Amino acid sequence: MAAEGGDQEAFAQLVSRHQAPIFRFVRGLVRTRAEAEDVLQDTFLSVWRTVQGQTGGKKAGDSSVRAWLYTIARHTAYRRGRRRVGQPEHFEALDTLGARAGWGTEQSPEALLTVLQSKALVREALARLADEDREVLLLRDIEELSGAETAAALELSVPAMKSRLHRARLKLFAELRSTSSAHQQQEVGHEG
Amino acid sequence: MKGEREVAGLRCSEVLEALGDYLDGALSASRKATIDAHLSGCDICERFGGEYASVVQALKAAAGPMADADDEHPDDEAFDRLAGRLRETAETS
Repeated sequence: MAAEGGDQEAFAQLVSRHQAPIFRFVRGLVRTRAEAEDVLQDTFLSVWRTVQGQTGGKKAGDSSVRAWLYTIARHTAYRRGRRRVGQPEHFEALDTLGARAGWGTEQSPEALLTVLQSKALVREALARLADEDREVLLLRDIEELSGAETAAALELSVPAMKSRLHRARLKLFAELRSTSSAHQQQEVGHEG
Repeated sequence: MKGEREVAGLRCSEVLEALGDYLDGALSASRKATIDAHLSGCDICERFGGEYASVVQALKAAAGPMADADDEHPDDEAFDRLAGRLRETAETS
């Protein structure tokens, strides 16, 4: 990576290229914008120290720089919240997740469509997910990292990442289905 | 899975399991063809699969780089603040 050895211009380019998507990712992990800004700065400071060789930590080497940046950002964000990375998730069977998302139910597609058209409602549903579900969606579906990059950033195997991604999508679907059902019930209540 | 059927040699639960890879284009041609055949004959999975794809699309639209959410961009001074902290780091090392 050109930023090694103190090439400040190269480091500035690295920051310029990556700070917006890293900020967007971190913003999805922490509670406030101010925290996200702090994490963003701490992330790039950590990157700078690493490429300077001050901490002797992992250098980008042959692995994706982008995935490495997200890994650092992720650890930095969770360290602020004193959450241990890699906490086991509460396991739900895939069939259960499918049912919660509405598989096999006779729910109104129009109600779901109305919810999906509201960016605010979609973002709120995303925010209600557990950290491990939200982060895989942020990286793979929102930032559109490749499967390999997403797995590397999350320190997972590719198969484990794909499983987590699918389950996270179903959980988001379940949250949005629940929102659409609640809206439908409100409408029925107003009509009655 | 309650109410599931077998269509085109696949059970609905198998299609549910493969739905993520199917959406991402990560299946072999033959596997995709089998799932396509199931979806053609199973209205429940066809509807659910379509809604699943819509959820992912809505997520990209709501929170992706083009969503233009005010809260999801570093402000213009963020880089200057970082530069200041880097200088501090260099001075104290």
